[in-house]
Amino acid sequence: MIEAVPPPSARMSTLNWARKNFFATWYDAVFSIILAVLIIMGLNALIGWAFLDAIWSVENKDQCTYDAGACWAVIESRGRLILFGLYPYEEQWRSTIACLVVISTIALSCLPVFWSIRRIPILWIAGFTIFVLLMRGGFAGMPLVSSDQWGGLSLTIFIFAGVFVIGMPLAVLFALARRSNLPVIAKSFGFFIDIVRSLPLLTILFAAAVIVPLLLPEAIQGNKLMRVVIAFAIFFAAYQAEIIRAGLQSTPKGQEEAAVALGMPYWSLISDILLPQAFRNTLPSTINQAVITFKETSIVTIIGFFEVMASGNAAIGNGEWGNQYVEVYVFLALIYFIFVFGLSRYGAWLETRMRLGHA
Amino acid sequence: MIKKIKSLAFAAAVTLSGITGAQAEGQGLLDTIIERGSLNCTGHNGSYLGFAEVDANGAWQGFDIEFCKALATAILGTPDKANIVPISWAQRFPAIQSGDIDVIIKVTGWTMTRDTELGLQYSRPYFIGPFYVMSKTELEAKSVKDLEGGVFCVNAGTTIERVLTDYMETNGISYEPLSFEKGEELRAAFYAGRCDAIAGFGPFLSATRVNAPNPDDFEILGDVLKLEPEGIVVRQGEDDLLDVVNWMVSALLMAEENGITQANVDEMKANPPSASIGRLLGATPGVGSRLGLQDDWAYNVIKTVGNYGEIYSRTIGEGSRYKLPRGLNNLWSNGGLLYPLVLD
Amino acid sequence: MTQIFASQKLRRTAIQTGFIAAIIFVIIATVLTAQRNIADQGMATGFGFLEQTTGWPMNFSLIEVSGRSTYARVLWAGLLNTIFVGIMTLFFATLLGILLALMRISSNALMKLVGTIYVEVFRNVPVILQVFFWYALLTHLPNPKQAINIGDAVLLSNRGLMLPSFSLSGNDIWILLVTLIIGIASIWITKDKSTFTRRWGIFAGVFALVFAIVLFTGREPEVGLISFPELKGLRFVGGVTLKPEFSALLIGLVLFGASYIGEIIRGGLLSVDQGKLEAGTALGLSGFQINRFIRIPLAFRAMLPSLTNQYIWLMKGTTVGIAIGYPDYFAIISTAINQSGQTLELLALLMGGFILINYSIGFAMNRINEHIKLKGRT
Repeated sequence: MIEAVPPPSARMSTLNWARKNFFATWYDAVFSIILAVLIIMGLNALIGWAFLDAIWSVENKDQCTYDAGACWAVIESRGRLILFGLYPYEEQWRSTIACLVVISTIALSCLPVFWSIRRIPILWIAGFTIFVLLMRGGFAGMPLVSSDQWGGLSLTIFIFAGVFVIGMPLAVLFALARRSNLPVIAKSFGFFIDIVRSLPLLTILFAAAVIVPLLLPEAIQGNKLMRVVIAFAIFFAAYQAEIIRAGLQSTPKGQEEAAVALGMPYWSLISDILLPQAFRNTLPSTINQAVITFKETSIVTIIGFFEVMASGNAAIGNGEWGNQYVEVYVFLALIYFIFVFGLSRYGAWLETRMRLGHA
Repeated sequence: MIKKIKSLAFAAAVTLSGITGAQAEGQGLLDTIIERGSLNCTGHNGSYLGFAEVDANGAWQGFDIEFCKALATAILGTPDKANIVPISWAQRFPAIQSGDIDVIIKVTGWTMTRDTELGLQYSRPYFIGPFYVMSKTELEAKSVKDLEGGVFCVNAGTTIERVLTDYMETNGISYEPLSFEKGEELRAAFYAGRCDAIAGFGPFLSATRVNAPNPDDFEILGDVLKLEPEGIVVRQGEDDLLDVVNWMVSALLMAEENGITQANVDEMKANPPSASIGRLLGATPGVGSRLGLQDDWAYNVIKTVGNYGEIYSRTIGEGSRYKLPRGLNNLWSNGGLLYPLVLD
Repeated sequence: MTQIFASQKLRRTAIQTGFIAAIIFVIIATVLTAQRNIADQGMATGFGFLEQTTGWPMNFSLIEVSGRSTYARVLWAGLLNTIFVGIMTLFFATLLGILLALMRISSNALMKLVGTIYVEVFRNVPVILQVFFWYALLTHLPNPKQAINIGDAVLLSNRGLMLPSFSLSGNDIWILLVTLIIGIASIWITKDKSTFTRRWGIFAGVFALVFAIVLFTGREPEVGLISFPELKGLRFVGGVTLKPEFSALLIGLVLFGASYIGEIIRGGLLSVDQGKLEAGTALGLSGFQINRFIRIPLAFRAMLPSLTNQYIWLMKGTTVGIAIGYPDYFAIISTAINQSGQTLELLALLMGGFILINYSIGFAMNRINEHIKLKGRT
């Protein structure tokens, strides 16, 4: 009889784990050591600058020199300008609440409960309307704040949300028009989408801000912010339309044929069968597109809007804090990072979830 | 068939543009501003030191901003009606052409192309901007010639690009130009040593120097590259508005000449020391209506922003952190180039 | 009557005609409104200004430009600058992207970690901010007098990176460029029987010959073959200079672009069916052969469409150059708008330029796609 031997232990010792992951071959070992040294050096410099040698409060402002660490006092002094831009000081609580409303709208629409072709639009339109009412004011004792004065993070979020609310339906329209069986319409929209996609966003926004008023009669021009948001939305829609089109193409042809055979009307076929699947299949790309859009909002600074990037520039654009630009840029990068990283993590989570077949 | 549709479309288009065109022609911009109850003025995208900056509360301040407030006060009675629209350098002309803004008050040099080809007109200069070169003290340059071969940084899209090119060509100095769209980047690059010198508008250079980590590292050279008169810009054909702008500037200068300040303007209005001061402050009726304004418009302006000297001191002069000397922007009687028009 | 309307064909024609009519209507209405507005403003229109001299210089250009050049020439120089930095970006971003993809699928945990952190950091911060950062870093290098000196040949300062170069005149460079283009085109187009490698070999030989002839002929005897950078007064003379504006834009775009391209390549590599790789092993192919003949060709096909999009996106990203003083096409147009005030015309030129560049990329990538498409018998 041979004694039964227990199976080899599934647990690896720390040493084994390290060997497998860091020192599998000689070149792995070299890479690992070089990288580890670099990481430690980088971290050391970073922590020294950002925390250990940093100056935190305005009282110590005179210690802010080139040799010292980060001068976070600038954020204490100019932080509100960065976050709120030109929005009137006393009314900034409105801007804060409005921001929170849109952020929770974004958060809510990430929950699968809201993923239906009826609920999502209602949620977004509601969130967006509350935002605009709060920011604009002019009722219930809240003074009117015109859109020229909107600024900072809430303007960034407004542009983002506006682009999404207007751009999504447009994207659906573009996608459907491009795969229409009427050749003229399909070709024209295809041409239009391709043109828009090959232009830099900046040129489109610039045109919307300064050229459109020359081309359109005054009655339908709208204000500058409106024009820029619509132009941005068209740009977004051109990209998103291609994503949706890919989603539509990925649904089996048989489903469409079955619906037609059952005598389903066109709009019902689109909104009940094709679109929900198209959206579901392309959610990761849509999230990716949202991430790109959020980052691209920083471009409106070039045409004179005080979104968070421009406000940051204005914060360092006066005599007092002119030399603390690195700190302000780092602060801005962190703001973007929080939003964008959150969105992209969510996208990654969705991807795994769908790969597992939950969706 | 297609032909028919085309001609139909054409007819409809003509009607459409006809209607909108008629709307625009009806009244002058001054009346539109009064009717609208707000004046759309230029701000900046970011800040232009001393002339248009944003304070920690998000409120605009600076020399140009004060003039905007003065104009709003003259037309609408209160500075709160000035709506400052953030706008980049490149956008100012398209924006005024399209009617997004009513006036450009953004240290805009009076050049022939702008005056004739863009459909714009200039007010009398409200500021005289000399162009200088600022370099690093360690280079020990005495004049621009000593900077032969150096890197000169300038603001892109402004008149200085051409002025510098001209000056260097005339004097046979070779150099390497580098232009930046935004003042912030320009300053940062200069402080860091990317450029040997910045060429620019005097006040901008002083402000840049004051802001430097160590102001003594930099010095402004004596050579004046060129003198640029800065005017307030309105669209061609808006003569009523241009009149108001010209007389607003003049009123500020006249107030300074006659010692009328924000503090004593009430007293001066009650007992005008001369007939012309009485006319200026609206004690004599009929002065404002010539411009289509209230009689006490100039009184309101001085009460709100003070006279020219007070504005200067508060924003870029002695009373500010930039401490810019008056220089050419003083009254003629004090050795400057500015003078009021005759108020009769 | 009702029968006519019920006719599918007629209805379709009617809708499409209506659509075209609507578009024509909108275009005509817009043109008319624009004409009226422009006339009202008393603005000068037309492209006549292109013949005028600009009166302002450019910091960096591939062709000779001065204050006396015409607008047309300066705009052309700007377009070339954009194409130049764009192509360099695509090239280096792709290389770095490949490296990142390999890091992220490697078995070394530390490499994986660094790859992941890299991608997350560089993807999630706006590119304009990154470019600002690199520019600030490069301009804080020592000044020319204290330049970091490597063997008197390579100098690094806040004026840029100075490298030694062959002494070639402008004409020489054009000759070489033309040779290069003709050579590559002939390799691409000819369906010669000889092998690909052999054709490349012949081309490289011819190119080297032309290069040598150009380098050794028609020069003053005292001028050396290679010119080294040296500081004379305030400026560097000799050699070639990589200016900080160009470098910062390039570094920023490459690092940003690589994080996206790396992800696309990783996705492409992972999309290759594991079974095919195992089949390769079963056939006795080596690891290199599996990569060369199975994995890379299949992955390349899978990622080409997204890669095309990313290339176009990066090409458009060059417009952030304006923020740090790199005279790209957009920056030049923006300055020209400011100086000449011809907003409509210049914006049209701007859009035209980008459509041209991006359609060319799309066209080239589609050609490659056609070329490598799996030619199945269907």
